[in-house]
Order: sequence, then structure tokens, then C-alpha cells
Amino acid sequence: MSPRAAWRLESFGFTRVYDYVAGKLDWMAAGLPTEGTNAERPRAGDVARRDVPTCSLDERLGEVRERAEAAGFDACVVVNDERVVLGLLRKKELEADASLPIEAAMRPGPSTFRPFVPIEEMARFLTHHDLANAPITTSDGRLVGLLRRDDAVRAAERLDAEGADRRENEEP
Amino acid sequence: MNGETVMIRCSTCDDQIDRCEFCERPDCATALCYGCVIEALGQAIRQPHDHGG
Repeated sequence: MSPRAAWRLESFGFTRVYDYVAGKLDWMAAGLPTEGTNAERPRAGDVARRDVPTCSLDERLGEVRERAEAAGFDACVVVNDERVVLGLLRKKELEADASLPIEAAMRPGPSTFRPFVPIEEMARFLTHHDLANAPITTSDGRLVGLLRRDDAVRAAERLDAEGADRRENEEP
Repeated sequence: MNGETVMIRCSTCDDQIDRCEFCERPDCATALCYGCVIEALGQAIRQPHDHGG
């Protein structure tokens, strides 16, 4: 449909028309801007901590743990030079033997989620599955940030309260 | 430990899986397969979707 839609737009006189072949979900997963009523609602990528500590496969757990603690995190994301997520160290993994290489200590290939997922959904899933945090990545696996459950729940509650206020003001 | 993988069922589609694809736990009571996770979170749309192509 999208190539035909692009041609149709040109027929209307639009001159800067592009067909983003990878699709709308991929566009949103890259954190690119969107429009419409849903565009202003916070999503996983908006709430994820972009300052999450990262480490590489060849580091030792002890130094990485110190770095994570100093940054106020109980997690660290293992990435390569391209910032592609290779593994994750949550609290349990960070508590292992300090001499372990990261490759041996990490959870390899962790589940990752896209930045456009509505924050209410992420909050609900993180709570229901009792998960402290989840890495947010683009479609090609590059780290956007770490979404902490507490942050997600707070953002979802704020959104819910704003919705209730709006409904109250709209009532005749 | 005999190293055998214990299979569980996706709580949505009933497919056999070896861990929940959301929380990665093999003993998750509401385990989900990869397809059901990405669909539930809107990361993918079931094909063929209803607006055609």
C-alpha cells in the first residue's frame, strides 16, 4: 500500500514524499517523531533511562558492579561497539563473583522491547511478570535505555490521573 | 539435573515453549511465547491484518 499512497500524495501536489519501506513500526522503533492523538502519550522510549550503565563482554564483573552502583543502578546492559545489546546484568547477575568475565556472568540475549510500546502496557507487563526492568532497543537491537518498573508504573499512574481529570472536566 | 528442557505452554496460544518470552522465566505462571508478547505489546501486527496491503 505505501508505494501507492506515496504516488497518490504526489498526485495531490505534495513534493516531498518518501516511502519508508521498513514500515511505520520500524519508524517508531527508531524513536522518530509521530503525529496524531496518540503521539503525545508517553511510551517506553520516553521513560527509559538513557543513562543506564553499559559494559562490554571483555570486562570483569567487579569493576562493572562498582560502576553500576556509582551510577545508582542495580543493572547494567552489555553492548558491543555499535551499542547493540548482547546481554543484561540484573541485580542477581551483578552479585556474582567479581572476577567473572562479563560474558560468563550476563544473561545472554535478553528480551528487549521497542520504544513505541505504550507505557501503560509496559507497566502492566513488568508488574504482572514481577520484572524490575527491561531493555528498550531499536528494531536493529541498538540500546535506547533501560525501562525501570517503578518509572513505568509512575508514568502510567500519572497518565491515568490526567485522563481522569480530563474526563471530569469534559462532563456536562 | 538431567539437563532436559522442561516445556511449558503459552498462556495465550497454548504453544509449547521453554520459557516466558517476556520475563524469561521457565516457571512463569502466565508464560507467553514470542509471537504473543510482540502482538500483546503492539510490536507486531498479526498477518494478514485487516486493512490489506
